[in-house]
Amino acid sequence: MDFYFGLIQIIGVHTLLGLSAYCVLQTGQVSLAQAGFFAIGAYVAAMLTVLAQWPLVPALLLAGIVSGAMACAVGFPALRVKGLMLVVATVAFGEAVRLFFFNFNYQLERGELYIGPHGGEGFRQIRYFPEHGWSTLEVALFIWVVVVLAMAALWWMDRSRAGAVLRAVGEDEFAAQSSGINVTAVKVSAMTVGGVIAGVGGGIFAHYTTHIEHIQFGVVLATFAIAYPILGGLSNVFGTLLAVIFIQGFLIEGLRFMGDWRNLLFGGLIVLAMNVRPRGLIDAGTIAALKRVVLRSKEKAGA
Amino acid sequence: MDYLDFIDTIQSLADGVLFGATYALLGIGFTLIFGVMHKLNLSFAAASIGAAYASLLILAGVKAPPVLVFLMAAGCGGVIGGLVYLIGFRFIPLANPLATLMSTVGLLLLIDEIIVHTTAGVPLSYPALFSDVIIRVGPFNLRGDLMFVFMLGCLCMVLLLLLLYRTRLGLATRAMSQQPVAAELCGISTMRVNILTFVITGVVGGIAGAMIGAAIGMLSPLLSLPLTVKGLIVTVIGGLGSIPGAIIAGLLVGGLENLFQYWRGVSERDLYIMLLLFVFLVFRPGGLFAPAAGRD
Repeated sequence: MDFYFGLIQIIGVHTLLGLSAYCVLQTGQVSLAQAGFFAIGAYVAAMLTVLAQWPLVPALLLAGIVSGAMACAVGFPALRVKGLMLVVATVAFGEAVRLFFFNFNYQLERGELYIGPHGGEGFRQIRYFPEHGWSTLEVALFIWVVVVLAMAALWWMDRSRAGAVLRAVGEDEFAAQSSGINVTAVKVSAMTVGGVIAGVGGGIFAHYTTHIEHIQFGVVLATFAIAYPILGGLSNVFGTLLAVIFIQGFLIEGLRFMGDWRNLLFGGLIVLAMNVRPRGLIDAGTIAALKRVVLRSKEKAGA
Repeated sequence: MDYLDFIDTIQSLADGVLFGATYALLGIGFTLIFGVMHKLNLSFAAASIGAAYASLLILAGVKAPPVLVFLMAAGCGGVIGGLVYLIGFRFIPLANPLATLMSTVGLLLLIDEIIVHTTAGVPLSYPALFSDVIIRVGPFNLRGDLMFVFMLGCLCMVLLLLLLYRTRLGLATRAMSQQPVAAELCGISTMRVNILTFVITGVVGGIAGAMIGAAIGMLSPLLSLPLTVKGLIVTVIGGLGSIPGAIIAGLLVGGLENLFQYWRGVSERDLYIMLLLFVFLVFRPGGLFAPAAGRD
């Protein structure tokens, strides 16, 4: 049973990562820096709980704030460029963060052990959950509370004026600008919100894996982050969730029985999905179709 | 800085510049595809490594001379380039840039996995040419294999520039990159130009892959991600769509990378390249050779 709770935890954390990229993609910007914010959140939260002995929730909040501030600071120079240049700039930022942690040493002596991040060896002994006696189920529930909160917040934002503004910038920047929207401010705030979510997600990730190292936060993780919302469709937060379940649950865990062939299928199925559904698994058409079905059944019930 | 330090600095810079020819070719590949289609092909570096692998595997049975391996790598690169276009671009609406970005990521993973699957993930050694020749210039040594790689890279760039500026296909390609609609009205077939561009960049990539194999001495699927990042950095520093820019930026990145490695060690080397990129983005976002602002 613990295996399934573990899978649910992974899906939860990756959903947070996907949602952080979802925010930025809404404004039409492709950011591969999410893995960098995720790494910052992971290291900050882990250092707070392990070295400074903070409780988990404040540590996660501060990790989110630090990552958000970093995202805001990076957003200003990076968002001067767009399209391909932004992709490259954010890849470079993510890699720079990773290489920073690769060379980052800050260890304290505690009894027999040295604890804290130690360069290429990574950061061991992040034992908040075992030390405080959380079971796998409780950890999974905690993660999903955070995920549901983040999804609800984004769902509400999508339906509010802020969501409309984000989409306007994403659809047509010039039109948005000429109708009086401050494009830079919108993009930087989307980046900041994405940074906060990624930071919180990274903090949780550090605590359930108990050991983090620089290599986990490379370009591959950044590509996964944008893969979820793109594969799932950008019209709805549930698209991201569906894509995470599709990739983590089906492609990675569900296909394990195929052994070596699983990795081959992985790339192939992503290519196939993009060929068959270029606008994502859940696009505007799907939602319209769903609404029609619901309306029809209501009419029938009424008649 | 004493004399020996100075010699070593210059030596590492020279080695880096020679190796930078491979980065320049990768940068040209990214730039050409972006110039014609305004799309990013993230699978390009992986396809290049794949072409080098394919050349080794096809010629594994016969004892082929290294020259033949290089030619075969170029040929395989062309074929893989065409396939990448058909699988990752042909059937996806071009109005949606995210979809093709994602499909090329899928192709990157797919090509990597095919390599791992066929070779069981074991690095293969790659034949080098002139590896026993060392040219001495004063106190400096120039390695023969790196010199050969550099010469081959320069030859490719010259041929590519001739192709782009002296042939009808080059004219069509440039027309397509400037004004796709107008080019189509003049009777240029978009699809034909696109697929030919992919084949040509594939050939360039195959040669780059073979050059990387020859310069490092081996091939490994682990090479494809770092090379993708380096190729993209070269593209941006050189200026999007600018071939001379990509060449100079490739040599620059190669040289500086080796210099940083000499000064600060291998673990911090790439950090400074990323910082260099950020400096460029802040102070010169258009790259070294930013094209003049166009009419559209």
